Amino acid sequence: MDESGRRRQQWRNHPSSSASASPSTGPTRFRSQQYSSNPTKTTQSSNFVPRSTTTTGTTPHNTRNPGYVPRWKSVSNANNQQEGETEAGEEVGSIVGTCPFMCPEGERAQRERLRDLAIFERLNGDPRKTSPALAVKKFCRTISLKYVQASDVRPLSVLEDTLNYLLNLLDSSEYPFEVVHDFIFDRTRSIRQDLGMQNIVNDRAICMYEKMVKFHIVSHHRLQNCGSSSISSLQYLNMEQLMKTLASLYTLYEANHSSNSIYENEAEFRSFHVLLHLDSKSQQREESLSFWFRRVPSLVMKSNEMHFARQVLRFYRMGIYRSFLCTVSAEASYLQYCIIEPYVNEVRALAVSYINNCCYKLHPYPLEDLSKLLMMKESDMESFCHACGLKTLSDDGGNKLLPTKQTTFCNPKGSFQSYSILGLQQYERSIYSSGNCRQTTA
Amino acid sequence: MAYPSMGEAHRRITDYLNKFSDAVSDQDVASLAQLFSFSSNSPSLLSLADALNFFQDANRLIKQSDKFSQFGEILAPLFRSLQSYRLGNLVDAYHAFEKFANAFIQEFRNWESSWALQALYVIAYEIRVLAERADRELASNGKSPEKLKGAGSFLMKVFGVLAGKGPKRVGALYVTCQLFKIYFKLGTVHLCRSVIRSIETARIFDFEEFPRRDKVTYMYYTGRLEVFNENFPAADHKLSYALTHCNPLREANIRMILKYLIPVKLSLGILPNAWLLEKYNLLEYSNVVQALKRGDLRLLRHALQEHEDRFLRSGVYLVLEKLELQVYQRLVKKIYIIQKQKDPSKAHQLKLEVIVKALKWLEMDMDLDEVECIMTILIYKNLVKGYFAHKSKVVVLSKQDPFPKLNGKPVNS
Repeated sequence: MDESGRRRQQWRNHPSSSASASPSTGPTRFRSQQYSSNPTKTTQSSNFVPRSTTTTGTTPHNTRNPGYVPRWKSVSNANNQQEGETEAGEEVGSIVGTCPFMCPEGERAQRERLRDLAIFERLNGDPRKTSPALAVKKFCRTISLKYVQASDVRPLSVLEDTLNYLLNLLDSSEYPFEVVHDFIFDRTRSIRQDLGMQNIVNDRAICMYEKMVKFHIVSHHRLQNCGSSSISSLQYLNMEQLMKTLASLYTLYEANHSSNSIYENEAEFRSFHVLLHLDSKSQQREESLSFWFRRVPSLVMKSNEMHFARQVLRFYRMGIYRSFLCTVSAEASYLQYCIIEPYVNEVRALAVSYINNCCYKLHPYPLEDLSKLLMMKESDMESFCHACGLKTLSDDGGNKLLPTKQTTFCNPKGSFQSYSILGLQQYERSIYSSGNCRQTTA
Repeated sequence: MAYPSMGEAHRRITDYLNKFSDAVSDQDVASLAQLFSFSSNSPSLLSLADALNFFQDANRLIKQSDKFSQFGEILAPLFRSLQSYRLGNLVDAYHAFEKFANAFIQEFRNWESSWALQALYVIAYEIRVLAERADRELASNGKSPEKLKGAGSFLMKVFGVLAGKGPKRVGALYVTCQLFKIYFKLGTVHLCRSVIRSIETARIFDFEEFPRRDKVTYMYYTGRLEVFNENFPAADHKLSYALTHCNPLREANIRMILKYLIPVKLSLGILPNAWLLEKYNLLEYSNVVQALKRGDLRLLRHALQEHEDRFLRSGVYLVLEKLELQVYQRLVKKIYIIQKQKDPSKAHQLKLEVIVKALKWLEMDMDLDEVECIMTILIYKNLVKGYFAHKSKVVVLSKQDPFPKLNGKPVNS
């Protein structure tokens, strides 16, 4: 955890400040304060005021942990942060955790008693028994820093191991994906909470956040294809946490930037933000992309990944379906594709509506050509047209055609079958390759 | 820093205290406002600050007489703030100033008439500027900058105080504009929505009653918001209002308005004259305008790239990118005009491969499928009237008005 080497005052050379001298237009930014220079301030396990053992909500008066140093007191919370909910970058204090297990002993014992054990935590399937190797700390919504004990908080290395353990569960095919997702969703949220409470904001935290973002993105993709009815609330919540985790990750990147360099994966992870906001309607509720671009470091803006994302954005917003499909097919990474995929059929439907509207009535459009244009399997093209409310017909040679100027076009409703995009069927591989999170210089 | 003598310090402080209480009792807002306009760095304020730092016990002087002590809650933090300000401790200065401002607001509420509005404006302005400086200090010390956010919360409170039926309500727009500046600086523009709603829908407010200067600023910021949301007709309306009502001598302000109005007008098919761009030093738009006139896609892309940083920073980049469709329209129109000169009877039939060739001359390498895609979009969005014959790969233009002008309407979505 020694990052003192990079604690230089890089403020004036910050990569995001652009060359022209416009006074004070850049947003203010903050840097994390590493503790390596003053370890005694916070790495404090001695003069601890033990929390009173009464569990019924009475507040003991001297619970203020002397080792607790208030860090960034968040002022008025315009941004709907839950009371006491701490995520990196929004934390209200910091302690150093000492819990050596994936789940603190007290919680483990309590949940055994209450039979509050998830399937993955049960020892031999017994709902009343778990073990240190199986129990993982749950996310706790109402936690308030004042009453937290260091022994309930997991230190960084334990959190890393916990995260890896959780992510390995993704490969298990024993249970339906929603069940696996739900468990990892909750337990990774608790990991983020522990990171935030300890104000851990270094490279290793970045690595963990990147992995968690990946999890949410892959879930976003896999939940689409799940098909059960309770999925939509899972999807919504997953998207919510994806955005939060991504925002925290960006804060971490910014807090750790040294002069003129960005992290190895930063460009790709920044591109996700653009791809998640392709639809300009979402801008009404949140910050517009135009604003967001102002804060992005120029090294990121120049990257291939960001260039790709911006192209996709431009094609999507102007309805340039052909270039959209070609570019996505040629250049999207797996994770980028996971985010883009829901838009692919939307763009195809748009293309069909344009073609239906503009093409010569006496020349019905051959489905073979259309499927090539829209990068779909020819066998899927007909059902897609029907999903768009359009009839198709066959000519004498048995070729299928789409007559144009039909008046019955409608956008395909609901979650319809996902048609693969030709050229990208290779995206089946596992995503957790062992990448590290080094910075690359310009 | 010149240190005064004890007696001199005493005199300066008492002088100031007298000025303050006289200003209040005479309802002399001009004199009052000067007394806490820190950013003016006036010699009298600075010398007062020196006196305070030297004297160290101004509270005793305040309490000495009823005339001053009635304003004790206001004056004590004001003095502390000024002292910190003078010493360059901007975070401390901000904290104390906010306390002063709070106390002042409490008193202000009790004054029935709106005589002190100008003073309130000064406070609103100063608190924002102080917060910005305090944040810079925090950031340079590696801490999280949140004073500007706090100033925003404070100003919302002030807004609430002014949002009543009495004569003070005309001050609400000024405070709104200070809030806009804060939110734009912080990037939290979604917070503008609630103030805008109050101004535009609350019955107590009549927009015409507000001072002209504030109306212009208000329309400028709300116009910018419309630009970010790509509501071009609304953006046009608001920014044009700001432009026509702006003092023509304020060239810097006009430039700021034009910086956003020009992309909006371009999106509505209205091009500025070259002299306008020159006069207000907005030459970054020259090539964009040229590209639209000539149908030169390469030039548009080049112009966007050349000024990318600037356009991204002001937030108009995405708007300018979309002009591409209009540039395509112009290019196709030119091809049509050339064909018409060669052979009028066949001019309305445009072969796709001809368009591909034209694009190749512009160093834009696009295949038939991509060009077909663009043509269907242009037809769908009514930038081109006609239809597309897929079999023969020909665009057949309508005989009448095949390239409709936008005429102040945005491109159909």
